[in-house]
Amino acid sequence: MSRFKRFVLWAALVAIVVLTAMSIYGAFIGADRAQAFFNSVPLVAYWFAAIALLATGIVVFRRLLRVPSLLLMHLGSILVLLGAMWGSKPGHALQSRLLGIDKIPEGRMGMYEQMQENQVRVGDGNDLEQLPFFVRLADFRLEYYEPGVLLIYSRDGRNWRMPAQAGKTLSLGEGLGTVTIQRVFRNFKMDLQGDKPVAYDPPGGSNPALEITAERPDAPPRKRYVFEQRFGHVDANDPLVMDFRRNAKDYLSSLEIVKDGQVVAAKEIEVNHPLHYGGYHLYQHEWGRDRFGEYSILMVVSDSGLNAVYGGYVSLIAGVFWHFWGRRILHWFRAHYTIGPKAPGESR
Amino acid sequence: MEIKYTIQGLLIYITVAVYLLAFVTTIARRVRAGRGLFVAGFALATISFVYRWVHVRHVPLQNLFEVFLFLGVACYPISWFCRRALRIGGQWADMLIGAIVLFPAGFIFNAEPMQLPPALQCWLFAPHVAVYMFSYVFMLKATFQAGEQFVNRRPRVEETLIPPEQATYELIAIGFPLLTLGLVLGSWWGKLAWGRYWGWDPKELWSLASWLVYVGYLHWRHMSGTKHPRINSLWAMTGMLAIIITLLWVNLAKIFAGLHSYAT
Repeated sequence: MSRFKRFVLWAALVAIVVLTAMSIYGAFIGADRAQAFFNSVPLVAYWFAAIALLATGIVVFRRLLRVPSLLLMHLGSILVLLGAMWGSKPGHALQSRLLGIDKIPEGRMGMYEQMQENQVRVGDGNDLEQLPFFVRLADFRLEYYEPGVLLIYSRDGRNWRMPAQAGKTLSLGEGLGTVTIQRVFRNFKMDLQGDKPVAYDPPGGSNPALEITAERPDAPPRKRYVFEQRFGHVDANDPLVMDFRRNAKDYLSSLEIVKDGQVVAAKEIEVNHPLHYGGYHLYQHEWGRDRFGEYSILMVVSDSGLNAVYGGYVSLIAGVFWHFWGRRILHWFRAHYTIGPKAPGESR
Repeated sequence: MEIKYTIQGLLIYITVAVYLLAFVTTIARRVRAGRGLFVAGFALATISFVYRWVHVRHVPLQNLFEVFLFLGVACYPISWFCRRALRIGGQWADMLIGAIVLFPAGFIFNAEPMQLPPALQCWLFAPHVAVYMFSYVFMLKATFQAGEQFVNRRPRVEETLIPPEQATYELIAIGFPLLTLGLVLGSWWGKLAWGRYWGWDPKELWSLASWLVYVGYLHWRHMSGTKHPRINSLWAMTGMLAIIITLLWVNLAKIFAGLHSYAT
């Protein structure tokens, strides 16, 4: 092996070790700081050097050109790095300066139902940028796992959980008595009938609650209401604290893309199912609730460089599997099965 | 440490006992009996995994308890494949691995069923985790072989069909594509769920570090061949250390809080 080839191999090994060390360092400093670290100027220099090294390897080592699987692996790595750099924030700044392509790398939109918006919050949320189209939230809905759970805590640190279903009873042991769920409300309301408060569950709206009866051996049964959306008042003399929880199963936003007054695209998005339009992906990112009701939080992400990254992945995977598995499988088949007519007396 | 007084717990404890018995029997040179017990342990581990699946009503690969349950199942088929197709021994180690991985599932990790959060309701969930787990078992086997090479131990029982250094390479050659696929599937899924194919999350960075250690191993071995077998073995063992940190420390230590915290 020539000295230059040996130098390239050693340089590759050093680059791998350095990136391993930097990855471990990045893992200790948290995602935000790690992102800033890996996008800093010295690291940009490192990424360029890594690409140059991979390209040099392909040129210098004939084997990388002769063996397609090795070529695919190394080309794939180059594509992933190039795509990632093109899609990064500095990459977007470069696109704007060199090519006049002004795209928002990443931002968020908080929307109530029926809202139409083209402003995206970027960075730490204080800056606004505009999309080249409007997004309309036609509908937003939350789906929950049913039933929810009732969490019960005692003052001495014990805790219990029971399914939030009407008729369920849980014995908490001596001294604390039993807890029974009498009713499950989807939309709890209370009104006075005469001078007596009466709870009821009108259709529409959302205020999930449980009607609980706590029975203790030394006291009369006590009725109480536990709400999902507010923790409520806690009686300091009550030996039990209760909490009603339901886990979100899914959150879905029906989106319409409006351009020049026309709906040009529409999709019901949910987590793992984004909408793609005009060089952006719109993701169901989060949801929230305030005094105006529930709102959907969308994430808007530019698709710059994504095809290169995915192309790199395909190339890398094809190369790695062909090199380490495909050739072995082929060899195994050749060793076990001969092709063509069997010779007299030959066994397989 | 807690004992699980449930059917699930009982199944795990019996499986651990059977795997350990298989190990002891094999070490005592009762190889056929050891293999029979290994198969029995695998059957029990499979029943335990299926029981969990029915219980939680989704592929049980959500948290560390379920993942270790799966590792307990994966040991036998990988061991069988290595022996038959790759001519790599070390079945006694596979039996021990089976018992070791089921131990935390039985005594340490919380088995409370959890509902899948929206991000995990994706077809990529099961392949991403399963592919990683298979690769981890191959890499763990490679580490045992590397350890044998490192201490220059003579093969136990009738075992090593190819030399440990060569066996380490063969196992890494099988596990590395799976490790790469796991990384890529995770990245693709991250793009679908969170909008980013790479989020600089501690788990992502540790998994990259693990992958890079094996990339380093392959380059180093290409450079030096088998001239420095102990250094080759050190690379392989370092890779396993990175995997253990990726799988366990990142999820259990609070210093690594991130997007993958739900797996704890």
